[in-house]
Amino acid sequence: MSAIEETVKDTIVKIVHCEREILTPKSTFQDMKADSLDMVQVLVALEDEFDIEIPDEDAQKFQTFGDFVSYVEKRVAEKKGDA
Amino acid sequence: MLKDKVALVTGGSRGIGRAIAMKLAEQGADIIINFFRHSQAAEQTARDVESLGVTAKAIKANVGNPEKIDEMFDTIESSFGRLDIFISNAASGLPSSALELDGKKWDWTMDINAKAFLFCTQRAVKLMEGRDGKIVTISSLGSHLALPGYVAIGISKATLEALTRYLAIELAPKGICVNGVAASYVTTESGLIYAKAAQEQLGGTPAWQTTPAGRAVAPEDVANVVAFLCSEEAQMIRGQILTIDGGFSLVP
Repeated sequence: MSAIEETVKDTIVKIVHCEREILTPKSTFQDMKADSLDMVQVLVALEDEFDIEIPDEDAQKFQTFGDFVSYVEKRVAEKKGDA
Repeated sequence: MLKDKVALVTGGSRGIGRAIAMKLAEQGADIIINFFRHSQAAEQTARDVESLGVTAKAIKANVGNPEKIDEMFDTIESSFGRLDIFISNAASGLPSSALELDGKKWDWTMDINAKAFLFCTQRAVKLMEGRDGKIVTISSLGSHLALPGYVAIGISKATLEALTRYLAIELAPKGICVNGVAASYVTTESGLIYAKAAQEQLGGTPAWQTTPAGRAVAPEDVANVVAFLCSEEAQMIRGQILTIDGGFSLVP
């Protein structure tokens, strides 16, 4: 498990108050019982944590926890590439 | 008219905030555009403001977080060293009924829409020392009308309006004018979400499109009144919330 995945997991658990064990690559936001405000707060927290921007248009495409992690990993890699 | 003035517009990248930023820039003010999540929109607005021949600076900050407010004002202080105009425009909220409104949504909405005004003002006042400052809040008719799905924001806007009145009195001896504006449905992305919710719940003619004035309220309509409240002509208006609705709220 990557450090980014761990951080995304920590963030979701803290904000959504779901069990850590339910967060697998295929778990959906319905599985997490996350509402729309939860999702916004998770996005904001991750943007701050990784100093990236996650546009709403991109976030709307996320279906699963795995989608979330892959996206953040990609953006962080892009950022490192820019530096 | 506002030449050499420095203005901060929270939530200034899009919608009403952008229109206000552009209007104040047209009148000569340098503009600080606070944004939260839409950096591209903020950068675009900054470019558009600069095209009017004034200085623009975009600053990212979630004004719902007091630490971020402090960071934003630290940046303003080091970059400009002063502030003449503060427009408390940033707002957020999710459609909800009162019975569905939970503590998390309440806190989120109140923090961004109401509490941020207080904490931003506490910092803004220090930068307005001896400068005849102007503060304008952006409220909405939902502060006193029960608009469908709007309860969370409505409550926060009622708080914002009350604070506008208290601060108008408290800051008057410092030469700072504090007022607000309250618009009905405005033709912005978020305004249209609530307009649709109202139509779904109430049915009938979409009244926000056919105000007695014959059209919907545009962001520029709000910006024009805000600019007036920032002018010396409005010096004797204190603690008032001016309605901008084309007569919408007068029709049963």
